[in-house]
Amino acid sequence: MDNNRIFRRVGVILALFLLTISIGVPLLLIFWQSVYVDGQWDWMAPIRTITGHHLSGVLLNSVWLGVCVVAVTTLLALPLAWMMAKTRMGEHRWVDVILMIPFMTPPYIGSMGWILFMQKGGYLQQWIPSSASWSEMFFSFWGMVLIMSLHLFPFLYLLLRDALIRIGGNLEEAGAVHGARAGYRFRRIILPLLLSSYGMGIMLVFVKTIAEFGTPATFGRKIGYYVMTSEIHKYISSWPIDFGKATSLASVLLSVCLVMWYMQSAMSRKFTYRLVGGKGQRSKRYSLRGGAGWLCGVYLAILLILSVGIPYFSIIAASTMKLRGSGLAFDNLTLDHYRELLSWGSVSMKAIGNSLGLSLAASTVAVIIGTGFALAIGRSSSFMQRVIDLFSLLPNTVPGIVMVVGLILFWNSPWMPVTLYNTYGMVVLTYVVLFLPYTVQYVKSSFTQIDGTLFQAGQVFGGKPLYILRRILIPLILPGMLAGWMMTFTIATRELVGSLLILPPSMQTSATYIFAQFEQGQVSLGMAMAVVTVGMTVLMLLGIEMLNSKRKWNAS
Amino acid sequence: MLNMKTRKKSAMLLLTAVMSISLFGCSTGNTTTGNAAQPAGEGNTAAAAETTKPAGGKLVLYSAGPQKLADNIVSGFTDKTGIEVEMFQGTTGKILARMEAEKSNPVADVVILASLPSAQALKADGLTMPYPEAANADKLNKDWSDAEGNYFSSSASALGIVYNTKLVSTPPTSWADLATPVWKDAVNIPDPTLSGSALDFITGYLSANGEKGWDLLSAYKANGVAMAGANQEALDPVITGAKSIVAAGVDYMAYSSKAKGEPLDIVYPEEGTVISPRPAAILKSSPNVENAKAFIDYLLSDEAQKLVTDAYLIPGREDIEATNRTNVKDIPQLKVDWNWMSEHGEETAARFSETFK
Repeated sequence: MDNNRIFRRVGVILALFLLTISIGVPLLLIFWQSVYVDGQWDWMAPIRTITGHHLSGVLLNSVWLGVCVVAVTTLLALPLAWMMAKTRMGEHRWVDVILMIPFMTPPYIGSMGWILFMQKGGYLQQWIPSSASWSEMFFSFWGMVLIMSLHLFPFLYLLLRDALIRIGGNLEEAGAVHGARAGYRFRRIILPLLLSSYGMGIMLVFVKTIAEFGTPATFGRKIGYYVMTSEIHKYISSWPIDFGKATSLASVLLSVCLVMWYMQSAMSRKFTYRLVGGKGQRSKRYSLRGGAGWLCGVYLAILLILSVGIPYFSIIAASTMKLRGSGLAFDNLTLDHYRELLSWGSVSMKAIGNSLGLSLAASTVAVIIGTGFALAIGRSSSFMQRVIDLFSLLPNTVPGIVMVVGLILFWNSPWMPVTLYNTYGMVVLTYVVLFLPYTVQYVKSSFTQIDGTLFQAGQVFGGKPLYILRRILIPLILPGMLAGWMMTFTIATRELVGSLLILPPSMQTSATYIFAQFEQGQVSLGMAMAVVTVGMTVLMLLGIEMLNSKRKWNAS
Repeated sequence: MLNMKTRKKSAMLLLTAVMSISLFGCSTGNTTTGNAAQPAGEGNTAAAAETTKPAGGKLVLYSAGPQKLADNIVSGFTDKTGIEVEMFQGTTGKILARMEAEKSNPVADVVILASLPSAQALKADGLTMPYPEAANADKLNKDWSDAEGNYFSSSASALGIVYNTKLVSTPPTSWADLATPVWKDAVNIPDPTLSGSALDFITGYLSANGEKGWDLLSAYKANGVAMAGANQEALDPVITGAKSIVAAGVDYMAYSSKAKGEPLDIVYPEEGTVISPRPAAILKSSPNVENAKAFIDYLLSDEAQKLVTDAYLIPGREDIEATNRTNVKDIPQLKVDWNWMSEHGEETAARFSETFK
């Protein structure tokens, strides 16, 4: 027991130290910049920026967008999670990988796909000319909510599905034995058990939405819907640069996210239950017949068409066009862009290599550190643990670009003995910092639901801490670690905002390559790169999924 | 001292190379770049002896604008001098942001921006290093470059009305035409906070027309002109046919798309337009000053100016003509005041985006 406590104490201290240098200090430097204007302390500077800037409207826009996206992602993800956890449909594991595609797609590429499809003279109108009367109505606030929800729902779905699987069948059966009907069972058994995962999920969806930059920059600008990130990005990337103003706005965004975090953690403390006990569990899967089966099938089909079908139709069409001005026509098809992209030794191939290498390195490091953090946080009972929890979540609540600027200020400052800036290591560090919250969340979510009696059982039978770690803890949190790793890897392969600022000169990743092609007017080449990188990631995930399904983590 | 530095540098390179090998076996590309830099360092001494250029080393270049052109210039420069160039390519805004983030530990030697006022601001902040003795500097267009040699505009682009030839049969001939009902909801204009050239057009138009100039811009807004991202983002919907026209579109993009076969063309309005120069400057913080000077010399050489015209840009030197595009003397120009434009850029951009939001 004592051994265990020392183990944990050391873990907490180490975690605090790592978090301080990787996240705490860089963010402090950012705030320093926002109040230390022209060599003078000016505590009012952030407040003046905010009041003098019609900010309330933009802030409300951000929050309202976040709320609507949370609502729509829930509508999309909850039925799907139930289907995949509780019915025979769950045996089709490939669906999970396909559903990850929207999340792997850079948001601005996904939005571009929708724009190209729905706009005046777009693919839909070329295909069905009569659609012109209504298709442009898509360019509204709700179109934007739909695009962002379709991008983010897979994330919520995975969390909910895993939670539903962990709930298992026996609790529901117990309810049924005592005469509860389906609706009552859902309301009184499933729902409360689901709440903690759901809370975590919607908090991250909300935060991701209001910190997202790609969709507001492409789609939002078209419909005149401005949010906080577009304002921050304006100050940070267009002349005249003003980090002070950007950081002031970022701090407002941060406060909104912290309020969300507080609400979520309060809810989670109240509704966390030990679900993974020693007894093993069976999960009953309904076989779907007749109407219900059809309904589920149609639901899945529509979801796949909306989230993958339409955007990828546009992306692939755009990537195979000889002349973008000639539209959809068979004599306008070419594979030249792919040939140019995949020619050996080209800039694009190097970019792909860089992306894969960086993502592998970053996701591996993130999983190791993130698991450590998640275990140190434990059930966030002590104050220190809550602090770690908060800190490890911060990168997800601060807009990426702000975090990255902080990292640059820190790692490129003249008083640092080692300047990591402009090296490969800096890129890995940035990715790790940006994506740490995912691993922490996933591992934490599996860890908090393990019943402590399992560890006590291990100790009773004379297991040393390391043995318990190896034979009890790690196997039980491995699915969480794997999910975190996959998530980090997939997002890292498409990370853009940070890469634009921290990549050493002459180094490109697939995302910056795509972005550069858009800037240079080579839209087809950029789209081809998107298809290639997303395709490669999908194949890789399918491979992992196949290996994984042989091992059957969830089998009794 | 120097030895120590190179040793440290090679150690760094080695580290990067080892890391890349261990991290991804498949990318042979990256490891070769890592190794290639080293022999180049030695080979330089030989090359330097021949051309009497500064000996070896590297140059860090931040460049805005067409990537192909920048790539060609960099490879031409490396062939000639043996100096390895590390390039960061982005928009003017991104480059300035990067410089700001690196303020306490700058790494760039030379910047090429797509907006004259930004270069004027760099000069005013004392960030540039004058190089008045640059070769061929006397042949540059005087209005676009600094008399004290703080920045040199080695290329420029003119702003015009770019239109989709499938949708527009009789193109508008003046800026005022775009405010007429014929073009309602059919026009894009690049965002001046993102596009330096669009800002140059707006401030240029205002400097020539005074406060009256805003009448045109408000009429644009009333006619449904949409503010749409940076240049390429504003042009793209016109290529695909979602919009018909870009007002204040960058001409070299239109020319190069047209050459590819896209249904695009451009007119320069009769009342005149603005030509937006693309200045290059050596930074005062440059660790490789000699290499930076050699690079400026190369930018102003016949060879590099030919690369500029091949990219459909206007050459910065007045003694060189382009054959694939309209030259400066045939483009009607507004009487603009660059000093006024530089001073009022910020507030104009803010007022414009407030109007068009």
